[in-house]
Amino acid sequence: MRRLVSLTAATVAAGLTLTACGFGGDDGGSGGSAEEGGSTTLDLLVPQYSDGTTALWEEIIASFEEANPDVTVNLEVQSWDNINDVIRTKVQAGEAPDILNIDAFSGFAKDDLLYPADEVVSEDTFADFQESFIENASLDGTVYGLPMIASARALFYNEDLLTQAGVTEPPATWDDLLAAATAVAGLGTGVYGYGMPLGSEEAQAETSIWTFGGGGSWTDGETITVDTPENLAAVEFMKQMIDAGATQPDPGATDRTPMLDVFIQGQIAMAVGLPPTIGQIEERNPDLNYGIAPVPTQDGSPVTLGVADHLMAFRNDDDKQDAIRAFLDHFFSTDVYLSFVDTEGFLPTTKSGAEGTANAERFADFLALLPDAQFYPSTNEAWAATQGALQSLVGQIQTQDAASVLQQIQASADNA
Amino acid sequence: MTTDTPTRPDGRVTRRPRGGPARPRRGWSRWAATARALPWLTPTLVLIAGVVFFPAGYMAWTSVRDLSQFGVDNGPAGFDNYARLLEFTALPRVLTNTIVWVIGVVVVTVLISLALAQFLDKAFPGRRFVRLAIIVPWAASVVMTTTVVYYGLDPFYGIINAFLVDIGLLDQPYGFTRNAVPAFLTAMGVAVFVSLPFTTYTLLAGLQTIPDDVREAAAMDGAGPWATYRRIILPLLRPALAVATIINIINVFNSLPILQVITGSIPGYNADTTTTLIFKFIRADRQIDTAAALSIVNFLIVLAVILVYLKVVKPMRED
Repeated sequence: MRRLVSLTAATVAAGLTLTACGFGGDDGGSGGSAEEGGSTTLDLLVPQYSDGTTALWEEIIASFEEANPDVTVNLEVQSWDNINDVIRTKVQAGEAPDILNIDAFSGFAKDDLLYPADEVVSEDTFADFQESFIENASLDGTVYGLPMIASARALFYNEDLLTQAGVTEPPATWDDLLAAATAVAGLGTGVYGYGMPLGSEEAQAETSIWTFGGGGSWTDGETITVDTPENLAAVEFMKQMIDAGATQPDPGATDRTPMLDVFIQGQIAMAVGLPPTIGQIEERNPDLNYGIAPVPTQDGSPVTLGVADHLMAFRNDDDKQDAIRAFLDHFFSTDVYLSFVDTEGFLPTTKSGAEGTANAERFADFLALLPDAQFYPSTNEAWAATQGALQSLVGQIQTQDAASVLQQIQASADNA
Repeated sequence: MTTDTPTRPDGRVTRRPRGGPARPRRGWSRWAATARALPWLTPTLVLIAGVVFFPAGYMAWTSVRDLSQFGVDNGPAGFDNYARLLEFTALPRVLTNTIVWVIGVVVVTVLISLALAQFLDKAFPGRRFVRLAIIVPWAASVVMTTTVVYYGLDPFYGIINAFLVDIGLLDQPYGFTRNAVPAFLTAMGVAVFVSLPFTTYTLLAGLQTIPDDVREAAAMDGAGPWATYRRIILPLLRPALAVATIINIINVFNSLPILQVITGSIPGYNADTTTTLIFKFIRADRQIDTAAALSIVNFLIVLAVILVYLKVVKPMRED
């Protein structure tokens, strides 16, 4: 008994000492900085684009801190799987980061948490963004997001498999695609015609490629419109592809990344890919004989899905605004910006970046598609829930009626 | 402190002399003892309040608020979140799945564990290694175990699928993890697998508390092995069985990772339990408030299940 008591007392005493240390250290720290004349700490939350993302940011932060010794930047890197949960928890707890890199900004803008973009970058930086991206980054006429990187989709096709199936050129229309994919499936060698990933990973992207390609849209400008005749026609054609056996089995639960691996292994003849897919092929199966073509659409007119991720600044403490502006201007300075975009293998969103990118030739197919890019209606605050509903529900077209699936998704959008 | 402790049990058992005054004094001394114990209980109480009561209370509070998809509180919502939950059309299917999931996994786990524990209770050469082997699924991360199975069953490059095709059981790879029912059954199998070590060891510990003379006496009275097991061993195993079952019910009911890995990519709600549905409400539908309401319902369900279990099975009864 006595031993227990003294043990408890010792533990409590140790606990108190540790706590005291904690407070003491804190006090000393803030006192010191006040003497130095106000050092600022910026919290930066970013998603992980690749294995090199953290190192890339650390490099950018180091060069920034060298030029701005009174500003410290705290980097937090989260996976794409988690970052939405993390940011939601932080906002709920009143601990929003000062700068966030994520896809959609409109929810934060609607909750009045963000600085307008022109208040956190210099005029020169602001004027350097390409107009199409600025438009996609504004809400009710105010620009809140800083377009950071862009990506577009194109059709990757396996030339050997198409040749074996007697297809001489990549399909440009839906009917061509169905015919080519059916021909490949008919080879009977265990290869699949078209990779259609409708699993929860990125079903909204695959679906958008089809609906945009059929002249559809997810918004009428005001509300989210899922259940429209154009979208229904597109989704019904997707179902027709599945029913005809022109896709890989069970597209409803196939995620994009593993599906693209199967394409890279040469077991799928055609699949929609992104700029980084080129690098993945070089790394995993450099012998793959493939080509890149525009995404097939209903009538062959060029449309593709564009995606832009944004940087945004949270209005936490107006004392930090100058430090935020300094950091963002540093990030968008041509050399720093191109080092990020080129290393990560994305398309630049600035005019100077488009001229300077080292990947101009490599991404020529994608850069040519950018003018025809359509974006997700991510400025509509119901879009996030719609995207979630697309991810978790659209794959049901494998077993259910296309119209009823679209109605379910529309209901989720209306509920948001 | 040591001088006080005996008075409490004493006061309760011994017949006190006639007359009232003893009662208030005894009550007072009990309070005094509690008060003196308080400083030593405080850290535990603070911990329990901090990690159990505060989060639970906050969840209940969240469930009656209207939260924006980014967590901004837009004021009280009454019972709107619960109403939205009741209108959710897939709810019956999800509740059915939850019942199948919990009962199926727990019953199969307990049955297999009873057999395994009996087996491990016998002395045989190499028993130590077999006992060790049964702990392995426990030591491995659940997500890792599940991911191994998930990849093994992948229709494109899974070795289990390839094996089944090679030995001629399947004509072509089958999407075990791509369709709701087979994926759900696969997940149940994994859940049983990872629940076995704990359950087996709890039951084994129970078996080892049963003295040999009880079995000898049964044998002496002419009971066969099966009768001994049913009439003697199982009743004596009841407390261990109760612990194993209740902890498994709670664990299995709240289990997210197995279903998340195996059925996470499956469209629709046919392979969801209430626990994974909470997750979908948060991540896909961005409805933190509805998710909180479902969490409360989830909590009530698991409470009801355990009360029914205690009431019907009376596992703690000593007879």
